[in-house]
Amino acid sequence: METRVSNSLSVAQPHKKAPQWLWPLLWGALLMMSVFAMSAAEPLFRWIEPDARQVIYDRAGFVTLLGRHLFVVGIAAVVTIIVGVAAGIAVTRRWGSDFLPLVAQLASLGQTFPPVAVLALAVPVLGFGTLPIIVALMLYGLLPIVRNTLAGLQGVESEIKTAAHAMGMKPTQILCQVELPLAAPVILAGIRTSVTINIATAALGATVGASNLGDPIISGIVNGNMAYVVQGALTIALLALTIDSLFEVLQRQLRARISDD
Amino acid sequence: MSLMDALPTPRLRWEGWHPNVVLVSLSLIMLAAFWLLDVVSMAPNRIVLGTGHGALEAFGWPGALLATLLLSFIGILACQPTHRHYRALLAAVIVIMALMPVGLMASSYLLIDPEMPQARLGMGAAYWVVLFVLLLCLVELRLRLNLTRVWPTLLLCGVALMWWLCAAFGLETLALVQEFKARDQQFLSAVAQHIKLVSIAVSVSIVLGLALAMLMRRYARLQKGAFAVLNFLQTIPSLALFGLLLAPLAWLATNVPFLAQLGVSGIGTTPALIALIGYSLLPIVRNTYTALEQVSPDTLEAAKGMGMRAGQRFWQVRLPLALPVLLEGVRITTVQAIGLTAVAALIGAGGLGTFIFQGLGQAAMDMVLLGALPILMLALVVDAGLGALAEALRPGGTR
Repeated sequence: METRVSNSLSVAQPHKKAPQWLWPLLWGALLMMSVFAMSAAEPLFRWIEPDARQVIYDRAGFVTLLGRHLFVVGIAAVVTIIVGVAAGIAVTRRWGSDFLPLVAQLASLGQTFPPVAVLALAVPVLGFGTLPIIVALMLYGLLPIVRNTLAGLQGVESEIKTAAHAMGMKPTQILCQVELPLAAPVILAGIRTSVTINIATAALGATVGASNLGDPIISGIVNGNMAYVVQGALTIALLALTIDSLFEVLQRQLRARISDD
Repeated sequence: MSLMDALPTPRLRWEGWHPNVVLVSLSLIMLAAFWLLDVVSMAPNRIVLGTGHGALEAFGWPGALLATLLLSFIGILACQPTHRHYRALLAAVIVIMALMPVGLMASSYLLIDPEMPQARLGMGAAYWVVLFVLLLCLVELRLRLNLTRVWPTLLLCGVALMWWLCAAFGLETLALVQEFKARDQQFLSAVAQHIKLVSIAVSVSIVLGLALAMLMRRYARLQKGAFAVLNFLQTIPSLALFGLLLAPLAWLATNVPFLAQLGVSGIGTTPALIALIGYSLLPIVRNTYTALEQVSPDTLEAAKGMGMRAGQRFWQVRLPLALPVLLEGVRITTVQAIGLTAVAALIGAGGLGTFIFQGLGQAAMDMVLLGALPILMLALVVDAGLGALAEALRPGGTR
């Protein structure tokens, strides 16, 4: 599933420059078009939904919705990356190794929890609004990051660590200059999974009163207005594809850098 | 007599004091939650938010003391982790879990006025935290005692039975029980519908996925394209995909009467199943493909040398060897589908998600729990069951 560290080390990929920014730019441009110029496509949506009074979702601007969506996903991502990577580092150190089996087990078990259920359980505790969706995203996004941080750090061969130690490096130096750079591709893959899942899950926040890109979808389903649904779905899909292709570029650059060194 | 025998075995020698830090800290977390958070909440009727009650009010002095003793017992035993202590700890964790509904009965007796038939008791934050941390303790103990999955599962079944008995015979005031009693038929049919949707989606995608993986092995050019399409599908949020399917299917249903007769419509089971199958294909195809590819060529060569024909080689060598990884794909897919089916309730497909979204709409949190908890349990049970099956089928594994 995830690329192992040794794979990305041994295979030197040809470093192509030109086409790698193509996809993020393309998806990003489409996303911007759909956010800023949704009303230009009014005839199209009129064709989908000829009888509706309104065909363009206007309870909030798409720019605002996109901003709120990114805000929620962004906060959750920053917190999960910090906590997840820190937890992964802590349990692979000597002093934290007691917690390693439990955390590893938990990280694989956590994938079993459906995001809807996590969100539904967060609402009774935290009430309606943006807070439960942020907390649900944090809980759900944490596990891929922890799992991949563990896999990445454990995948670093002990000979390399021994060599670093023999060169007189201190434990912190070994961590920052040897282990983390080598584990970075795997950790980044975890962050990518986490963020992509969270963009999709954040849309569910619209059902608990958090206003974001899920809003048009939910209100379209409730009012039977397909045009709203298409607008919301299109924008979220484009956002997910933009971010995902950005991560793809990032991963490729990281891999290229490691094999260059 | 080698040199190794003369050396002291380092593992038996205790360098001072080695408590099990994990269990000690878990025990401290539980104690803190028990005393600082609300243990139960009491609401006069369904819609009003409950008022929280701490440990003393909920259990009274004797009960709170007993609970504190039991919870600190875990921490104290974990300070000297021997094999026997771990077993005692396992017993203690199970006993505490089984006593938790009894505690609820006690607080229902203490807090709820019999004059108020509408009053209901909710489990407070402390209850959920303690329950969750106890499950963590169980995971930790299972790892320390090297138990297989079977024993903890059996013990948990016992605990579940205890909860069920208490809920059926002495906990009419618990909000969850009241929600269930108000719509038990609806609940059972929702569970059945949920399971039906998941099993149809998963079995169709197993068949399709196997066929697709076979085709990919034959036509290499197909492989890249198919993986690209499936990966693309996975990036689209489930809510968006469900929504996007509404429009074309509704159009088909109105314009092609034959399809409408078959049950195709914009809202309901059809779009849900299409989206579920679309999502399920990627993990199945990916795992089937890697499973079939990773069978070592030497083994296949040996089978060929023994005079096996191509068909025999596939059915008797390649497939059995690929089965564990293939089942892993089925496990991931099923668990994912259980969660996604909950979202499908939004487009009228039914299932347990109905309760979640209805409950959210009515601000009735107990109804949300009635939908969310079974989904969670279903996912955990399927995960454990298929995981155990894959373990058992691993060649040369457990027999």
